[in-house]
Amino acid sequence: MEIGAELVQGLKYLAAGICMGIGAIGPALGEGRIGASALESMARQPEMANTLLRNMIIADAIAETTGIYSLIVAIMILFVV
Amino acid sequence: MSSEIGKDLVWRVRLGPLSIAFNPLTLATALGVALLLLLLGLWLRRGIPRDPEARPSRRLVLLTAFLEFVDRQILGTMEEKTKQNLLPFVATLFLFVLASNLSSLLPIPGLVAPTRDLNVTLGLALLVYAFCHIYGIRTKGLLRHGKSYLEPLPVMLPMNLVGDLGRTLSHAFRLFGNILGGSIMLAVIFPILVDLVARFRWILGILFLLVGLVALRALWRRGKKKAFYALGLAWLGALVLLVVHVWLPVLWVVPAAFLIGTGAGVVLNFFFGLFSGTIQALVFTLLAAAYIQMAAE
Repeated sequence: MEIGAELVQGLKYLAAGICMGIGAIGPALGEGRIGASALESMARQPEMANTLLRNMIIADAIAETTGIYSLIVAIMILFVV
Repeated sequence: MSSEIGKDLVWRVRLGPLSIAFNPLTLATALGVALLLLLLGLWLRRGIPRDPEARPSRRLVLLTAFLEFVDRQILGTMEEKTKQNLLPFVATLFLFVLASNLSSLLPIPGLVAPTRDLNVTLGLALLVYAFCHIYGIRTKGLLRHGKSYLEPLPVMLPMNLVGDLGRTLSHAFRLFGNILGGSIMLAVIFPILVDLVARFRWILGILFLLVGLVALRALWRRGKKKAFYALGLAWLGALVLLVVHVWLPVLWVVPAAFLIGTGAGVVLNFFFGLFSGTIQALVFTLLAAAYIQMAAE
């Protein structure tokens, strides 16, 4: 393998790592907030826990979307491009 | 194992000008899961007593419990009529996605979860999208359903259309990304752990012996002589093993790698397979139900 191809390969790994690492920050913060608020509300109104859990999972899934997108992009950088 | 990531078996079929590529393993597993669920459904159905007044059978109770779970947890606070209309579709979707996610836990070589393939999840998301429209048109009528795209202002039409596209795509990508990510984590972490154990066997062995020493000291202080002698013998045995290991690595490395590998495999499979698979099936179905409900309003 010549030096240019090796460089490209290395940069690909770097790009995938940066993409996944930065992309994971947003969902982590968002899901943390959602979980904290949901727990707070559950502690305040335990009888609402079932409904809150359901809505929390939906909100988590939506907050997670950007993280999933960055995973897809990282996988595409590694295996497709 | 980790060298297989990103490489899938693909068959190509030419139909005139059309070239279709698909993964036969995914197709076979998806069909197998569907067949299994069909058989399960028939078996459960045969268990329902003819006479509604009769004592409920075990299978009827199982069926009722499952449907009640879907009714309460997934459909939640919808109106009774909407619930009745959605229950069969949503319950089927949940069972199929759940069984597909969990199918990768079966110890069959070459078997992968069908939901690890984007084609399967995209197909399911498109199915939900089509169901949204059909249900919306059936409950509100074609005109009012079409008009919902012009709300709150007619200018928002492109936004609503893009929203539809993004919603369906993210619905498919979410399930696919989670299952694929979990399987990649499994494939990457497992060999690393086994390798680490093999590489740091000396440190692990000395740590093990130190922990044994602390336990022996505690036993001696409490005056438990019998336990002290038994454990002391085992400790001496481990010490001999560690020393003998210089000549015979098999004695020490293989059992340790096997033990830690099995333990880690159980934990990792539990988290990435069972836990994540169930949660993702629940999320997929919850979102599908929410989308359909939104279309009906």
